[in-house]
Amino acid sequence: MRRAAQRSPGVYALLTLVVLVSLFPLYWSFVGASRDNAAISKVPPTLVPGGNLLHNLKTAFTDFDMRLALFNSFTVSTIVTISVVLTSTMAGFAFAKLRFKGRNGLLIVVIATMMVPTQLGIIPLYIMMANWFHLAGSIWSLILPAATSAFGVFFMRQYLVTALPVELLDAGRVDGCSTLQLYWHQVLPVARPAMAVLGMLTFLATWNDFFWPLVAMNPQNPTVQVALSAFAGGYVTDYSLVLTGALISTLPMLVVFAAMGRQILDGITQGALKG
Amino acid sequence: MTALLERPSAVKRPPRAPGVKAGKRAPYGFIAPFFVVFGIFGLFPLVYTAYVSLTGWRADQPGSEHSLVGFDNYAKLLHDQFFWNALKNTVGIGILATVPQLLLALGVAHLLNYRVRGRTFFRMGVLLPNITSVAAVTIIFTQLFGRDFGLINWVLGLFGVHHIEWQAGTASSWIAIATIVTWRWTGYNALIYLASMQAIPFELYESAALDGASKWRQFWSVTVPLLRPTILFTIVVSTIGNLQLFGEPLLFSNSQSPTNGGSQHQFQTLAVYTYDQFWQKFKYGYGAAISWALFLVIVIMVGLALTLSRRLRGVSDE
Amino acid sequence: MSTALWRRSAAVAGAALLLAPIAACGDSSASGSSGSEKITLTVNLFGDFGYKDLYAKYSQEHPNITVKENVTDYGTHHKNLQAHLIANAGAADIEAIEIGQVAGFTGMAAKLVDFNSQGVDKNQWSEWRWRFGSSADGKQLFGVSTDMGGLGLCYRSDMFAKAGLPTKREDVSKLINSWDDYFTAGTQFLAKYPDKSVKWFDSASNVYNAILAQAPQASYDESGKVIVDSNPDLKKAWDLTVNAVQAGQSAAIPAFTPAWNTGFAKGQFATVTCPSWMMAEIKTNAPDTKGKWDMATIPGTHGGNWGGSFLTVPKSGKHTKEAVELAKWLTAPDQEEWLFKNKGNFPSDIALWDRPDIANYTDPFFTDAPVGQIFSDSAKNLKPQPYGPHSGDIGNAIGNALVSVEQKKATPDQAWTKALADVKNVTS
Repeated sequence: MRRAAQRSPGVYALLTLVVLVSLFPLYWSFVGASRDNAAISKVPPTLVPGGNLLHNLKTAFTDFDMRLALFNSFTVSTIVTISVVLTSTMAGFAFAKLRFKGRNGLLIVVIATMMVPTQLGIIPLYIMMANWFHLAGSIWSLILPAATSAFGVFFMRQYLVTALPVELLDAGRVDGCSTLQLYWHQVLPVARPAMAVLGMLTFLATWNDFFWPLVAMNPQNPTVQVALSAFAGGYVTDYSLVLTGALISTLPMLVVFAAMGRQILDGITQGALKG
Repeated sequence: MTALLERPSAVKRPPRAPGVKAGKRAPYGFIAPFFVVFGIFGLFPLVYTAYVSLTGWRADQPGSEHSLVGFDNYAKLLHDQFFWNALKNTVGIGILATVPQLLLALGVAHLLNYRVRGRTFFRMGVLLPNITSVAAVTIIFTQLFGRDFGLINWVLGLFGVHHIEWQAGTASSWIAIATIVTWRWTGYNALIYLASMQAIPFELYESAALDGASKWRQFWSVTVPLLRPTILFTIVVSTIGNLQLFGEPLLFSNSQSPTNGGSQHQFQTLAVYTYDQFWQKFKYGYGAAISWALFLVIVIMVGLALTLSRRLRGVSDE
Repeated sequence: MSTALWRRSAAVAGAALLLAPIAACGDSSASGSSGSEKITLTVNLFGDFGYKDLYAKYSQEHPNITVKENVTDYGTHHKNLQAHLIANAGAADIEAIEIGQVAGFTGMAAKLVDFNSQGVDKNQWSEWRWRFGSSADGKQLFGVSTDMGGLGLCYRSDMFAKAGLPTKREDVSKLINSWDDYFTAGTQFLAKYPDKSVKWFDSASNVYNAILAQAPQASYDESGKVIVDSNPDLKKAWDLTVNAVQAGQSAAIPAFTPAWNTGFAKGQFATVTCPSWMMAEIKTNAPDTKGKWDMATIPGTHGGNWGGSFLTVPKSGKHTKEAVELAKWLTAPDQEEWLFKNKGNFPSDIALWDRPDIANYTDPFFTDAPVGQIFSDSAKNLKPQPYGPHSGDIGNAIGNALVSVEQKKATPDQAWTKALADVKNVTS
């Protein structure tokens, strides 16, 4: 059981402060999106929304193909999230609890791949996608390279190392379970809260990824971040439009979050084992 | 206090034994998907870039892609003042952005662990910065840090502080960028800590309280030690991420040549320098060499971080 | 079917219907392989060139051709073009390249269509101009020139009045004839203007670039050697500007940033070096200042240019023939004239500078200044400077050094040393 409910005004105050600080830039971008370019750099700053939001939204959707961008981003993020969570849990489990030859060496390789800077591979990756696989401009050029994640593997491994007791697995073995059955019956239930967190983080990261999609996708088939860069184009940048685009790109995340966040976070609290 | 250090058997301690024996091929099957994808999409770019770093390829010199120069690019690195400057910036900003952030995240996670009303709302709230897109975040913060009309200078002005041009100085730009990064990632790390904190059984706190430990003492003697694998994880991941800091310095620059990292390269990180040499100066061979050097730096820094944390763990276990 | 099943299939079908139009949108790639098949040409730009209405006109004259334009930000656009050209895939039918980025593409001239063989006469532009769009040996013309900036001196006549300076443009041009005159007027302005937070000019690098553009040589000499450290004219431009900065004449606001936009709106500076596209900037950033601006001739040799782009046709496209025709049409005299009158982009086509419509064009925002005449004259007065592939980056390096002086983070000598190191990094 968790601690009993507490009445700590200090905790409330601190938490409220943290959330306000977290929220403020988002709120401010809403204010900016609902005004025009000139209002953005006024001092003292404008903290009240204006009436320009609908107009900016209309421009965003008519001048730029935001519907397609949103759809693409959503598709890519969903597929990548499912793939990453599944493969990371599998590999994380193996690295955490299974004994096999070369385990430590391979784990180091996994972690090492996290240290490779992204930009290192842009040109060769593009050559691969465009010339070998003919996938340039397709959302699969975004999905395939991201289908697994070293971060995910490392994350699940660290979680399972602590959260999955060897006794549980030994008991399963005694019962005659194969490794796969162990995975299905013992590991997955335990891993669920971490999987939920990983899923959420992966979805976010994929949604916000802009470096590779900017090169691989073209403006006819954009993701949300690609579309955003179009907003920022030109000699004269309309920052209220850029913020509108940023808002549009953030809103679906907020919606998903509001709908699923509670379950995920509650899952974390229940996820602990008996004891 | 010795009761605190004795761990009841119900606690899941990181097992010293390597784990369950598995069928010969099963484990490899489990890790295969990762390595297959990496082999196809990760390995070729790596090898290719390694090859390019051995050439003198410059996009503005036709035919230069085939000129092999061996390790000349790497030798050039060692004498390149801009490389060392970028390294200094990267490490400096990296430390500023990692250490306070993780401490803050630990504190926030602890707060979120309380059973206060509306805790789900608070827990969701701290992740908001991570949801906001990088482009929006940086525009907003660049505005906030504006010299003449920024909110932060306005607030500082109320305390009599003269208007700071944040991009101009080394310390000021490092602090500003570290602030942006901290704002963005604290909630994220806090949730990771929270997930592991929830796995700590209540009895431990109870017995500690019974022993007379204050909340603060409980935090340091119960929570933190059991959070060790997670803390280690966040240290490694944050270090790797912050050493590759790219978007924030680039967008913070508020100038026509953002890849410069400030008028005197005062906040040009290694990732930005690589990008600058690669895409702005069209030196593909040299840019690839810098990327590999960055990789090396990351490996070294992570190694240092791990050694340091192991050292500390050794001390506190006395 | 059971109700549950029915409902589920309906939902799936509904979702499919909803998504179908979106999916179809993604398949709008160019099709057709011959003759009067429907063709969609894609044009990739890094800003608003004002072409949208022109596309409609073109489609009227060529009913089988639709034009789709894509805009990304400056840095991304050029970076992507690099990657796409190297991979020989993914580039649009027409790609714009800005004059400051051209160096990175001269090495890939072979992958772009040579306009020399497509009936384009490069002599419709000044030599310094078409050289930028040509391969290193000058034999291939891979880019047709769109607009150029020209250069005038925009000033706030209302502020001049308050500082006791003449306000009519003829008088201003007479008073500010040389660059020394310009800075002298600045000193007077700072002394007499009541609001001490208002400065003479926005940013040192803008002024420096204008001065340097008038010298016989800038960063390169005729043989293609970089002469930044040895060119006395360059050092003079540097010294003049730096002295003005230390005298407090600069508002020290980096151009093309939100702070700069605000600078216009808040009236933080009285003058700004004005290429033709700057007019649109001012109108957008400070619409309330209409009628308060005017334009005089740029001091010094009264010649100048700032910016401009080229349209290129990657050979990897599927419809290079039609793309070449479109590129030629977009940069043809009639269209360039339309663009100037409607969008303020000054044409680089020499023949247009004397066309009465252009030469007599005035702009009410700038108190009916004869902007057409001013820009034409500045273009004609521009003496050719030796061309160099990295002029843009070298300019940036020195610009950054100037900023560091403006930010009071370096003395002029320190900044100059740093600038030289930066220039070396660009070229070696």
